[in-house]
Amino acid sequence: MAARWLKAENGARLFVIGILVGIPLAILIGRWITSRDSSIEIHARIAEAGGFTPANLIAKVGEPIRLRLISDDVQHGFAIGQSDTPALDLPAGQMVETTLTFDRAGKYVFYCTRWCGLSHWRMRGTIEVTGEPAAQASAVSPLYLKLNIDVDDPHPAKNIPSRKPVAKSINNIPISFLTREYYLTHSPSDAFVETLHATSLPDDEIWNLVAFVWQANTTKEKLAQGQKLYAQNCAACHGESGKGDGVMAASLTKKDSSAQMEFGHNTKSPVDFTDSSQMLGASPALLQGKIIRGGMGTGMPYWGPIFTEEQTWALVDYLWTFQFEYVMHFRQLER
Amino acid sequence: MWIALTQSMGLPISRRTSWQLVLLILAALAILFLPTFVTAAPPTERTYRIEARSFEYAPPTIKVNQGDRLTLELASTDVVHGLYIDGYDLNVVADPGQTAKLTFIANQSGSFRFRCSVTCGALHPFMIGKLEVGTNWLWWQAVGFAVLAVVVVFIRPFGFMKPEGS
Amino acid sequence: MTRYEITPLLQPLLKNRLPQFIIQAIALGGFVFAIIAGLVGTPVGNHNFSIVFVWIGWWALLMLIAVPLFGRAWCSVCPIPLAGEWMQHGALLKPGGKGFGLNLRWHNKFRNIWLQNISFALVALFSAVVLTQPNITSIVLIAFLFVAFAASLIFERRAFCRYLCPVGGFIGLYSQVAPIEVRVKDSAVCAAHTEKSCYIGNAEGYGCPWQVYPGGLSKNTYCGTCMECLRTCPHDNVAIQIRPLGDDLLKPHGRKLDEAFKAFIMLGSAMTYSAVMLGSWGQLKAAAYAVGTSAWALYAITFLVFIFGALPASFFIATSFNRKSFINFAYALIPLGLLAWIAFSLSFVFANASYLLPAISDPFGWGWNLFGTVNFKWTPFLTQVTPTLQVAALIIGLAWSSQVAIQIGEQIKARAQGVIAFCFVITLGMLWLLVG
Repeated sequence: MAARWLKAENGARLFVIGILVGIPLAILIGRWITSRDSSIEIHARIAEAGGFTPANLIAKVGEPIRLRLISDDVQHGFAIGQSDTPALDLPAGQMVETTLTFDRAGKYVFYCTRWCGLSHWRMRGTIEVTGEPAAQASAVSPLYLKLNIDVDDPHPAKNIPSRKPVAKSINNIPISFLTREYYLTHSPSDAFVETLHATSLPDDEIWNLVAFVWQANTTKEKLAQGQKLYAQNCAACHGESGKGDGVMAASLTKKDSSAQMEFGHNTKSPVDFTDSSQMLGASPALLQGKIIRGGMGTGMPYWGPIFTEEQTWALVDYLWTFQFEYVMHFRQLER
Repeated sequence: MWIALTQSMGLPISRRTSWQLVLLILAALAILFLPTFVTAAPPTERTYRIEARSFEYAPPTIKVNQGDRLTLELASTDVVHGLYIDGYDLNVVADPGQTAKLTFIANQSGSFRFRCSVTCGALHPFMIGKLEVGTNWLWWQAVGFAVLAVVVVFIRPFGFMKPEGS
Repeated sequence: MTRYEITPLLQPLLKNRLPQFIIQAIALGGFVFAIIAGLVGTPVGNHNFSIVFVWIGWWALLMLIAVPLFGRAWCSVCPIPLAGEWMQHGALLKPGGKGFGLNLRWHNKFRNIWLQNISFALVALFSAVVLTQPNITSIVLIAFLFVAFAASLIFERRAFCRYLCPVGGFIGLYSQVAPIEVRVKDSAVCAAHTEKSCYIGNAEGYGCPWQVYPGGLSKNTYCGTCMECLRTCPHDNVAIQIRPLGDDLLKPHGRKLDEAFKAFIMLGSAMTYSAVMLGSWGQLKAAAYAVGTSAWALYAITFLVFIFGALPASFFIATSFNRKSFINFAYALIPLGLLAWIAFSLSFVFANASYLLPAISDPFGWGWNLFGTVNFKWTPFLTQVTPTLQVAALIIGLAWSSQVAIQIGEQIKARAQGVIAFCFVITLGMLWLLVG
């Protein structure tokens, strides 16, 4: 009897020990299996809680790196700056895998693509890629640097229109107006003043001409691209109407907000793109500079590592639609 | 005849009790079919902007008439939020800076909870708002049945629905 | 309706220790797994096994099926006391080992459910955090294991289960409603039996771990359906029987103040949870979650005053300021309380049950896919009929409680109108919170 009892007991004990030891063991084994493949596990949290961890990766040209991305709190996204690869969505609590291969050496920036709080734009990391071939020999210096434009200089418009200009041409447009170089280096206010001195057209028509010239420097596709970039990256602060009243704007200027603590007091609210007195005094090159470099004592992010040059110009093109009525009949231009 | 029928079924119900039973059933049916007797307000088009923030909606309650063509504009103010309406089984997601629109005909009346459908932090499962469409008939029917239940229980000791001879 | 004994059908299954033991061991495994998941898994609650399987899976099973139909049956497979009990017995199965423990008698002053009332209120106070943070859930579960083990080291039998466990407090009370009971078949047999093996234990099994004398058991409240008495009784005099719902509610003996207060704690908690978790008041939710702040302190005080003060006080008024009426009539609140909890649970269980699927494939949120369901999207189901079901549950609860109130009134020769009015107001409150 005692032997039978012991046998049953030992069987039961073995069963329980098996379960209690087996479970942690199984978990460890599972973890080991998934980590054997040299993939890098990156956790994504809102910037205030650490952002991407790890945030600095190393890779070699031509060698794929496998990333396992997991969001630990809210909806995030993942993309490589200045790259064509589509962004990845990172829903909270779910692992998303991706493999990256780099053709050239250099420092790449990865960033979050879904707004995850006031410091969303700070959620970035870097990938140092070593090897051959080397990074593209000094990428083209941005125009604002070449022109020595001081991005922090005030740029009031000398004149502003009485109502929103509608792009409309006239006969005998000065040829100089129609070069891309003119558009990039002059502000609408400059163009207005030039035309005012050269013709006797009424102000309204001159502004319409300026709008037309500006419109001529973009395309439907670029505007669509610019609109998408604006919606995804800028509208949260600058507002869907461009008035600087985005959902994040109030937090940026709120007293004792985290933004205040970061930037010091007097943080300015995001720029109102519908304010003609400022916008019309800015040249596209200046706007490009502000987008690339950010800062200016505000919460404006620096988009240099994120947007390609093409994307930046598309965005600049789009910003003008807050000032000018273009007549290209876009389906997307709905605010 | 009714008494004969019930007696043949083995249910010794008196005449008084059978009347009470009929009254009870009529009352229950009246409560159940109450909505059909009342005409609703004429439907219109409405648009509401709802701001979503972890973990509440502003405004937390939306009130419309039955049949209204309702457009909800969801504006997330901190992280990506969603809005799923119970009962209507409709869903919309908005990133901060990109107001999302949901348009539908509010053809079901009642009180419908809407919940966040994109995990947005710890209290996400409890991020809830309410859509009130027309008259909340379910609530009034529930009150009606509650009253009926209490009344029935109250008057039972006085012989309501008691079998013969007890 | 007479009693129907079902033991003949289940006898082999229950007398044999193995089936119950295997379920217990698996439950223990699941429990440990949940603790680990909460500690090392993703902090996102709805993708962590611990939150999803404890607060959605286990809770739904408990509140919607186990308690209404099987009373305290969860206690028969609960893993929390196992480690301590095995140590006390020195064995996992039949008696025969050398146990370890002081086996002290639980102090007379605490031989009631007041400590369980307090422990439940405590857990309820922190519930907004416990229910949403996986690591906190794990800490709570570990704390239960720890306290139960310590209790077994010091006190005799299942002291934690009987006097400390917050779950046991309310499922004990609500088991009075269940259609299943463990009772002796013939009390004359017990009277003639001097050894009282059901309480003392013998070679076949242990004396009742719940410190109940099975021979005298008349209500389900403290019987954990562990089946020891089925095994120890040499005269095969213990049986599981099916009986009418709510049978224990009308038994007039043994009605006590601590159990009466439990009814208010549960009713008040159901209403508070409905307001905080299912309501649209963001400030209230934030206050309930921000443990340690003054907003939370205000919420905590309001909650405690509501369940320990306002509700019992208004019931005292409803029972004409009579202590005997107060205690006796409180049992009429049990059906309403149970159905109010069912109504509340339906809403979040149906809305979130779909989380069970990804959680079982990827319990830690690490990207596993054990059963292929990791990408199953959140899909609320039955949201169209949930309000109707909630109304039905509450109306049934109201009618049932009112009926029991009248019957208790007849027993103690007191008027039940005030009690029924009280139930009516509570029902309206719950209705408004859930479907208003």
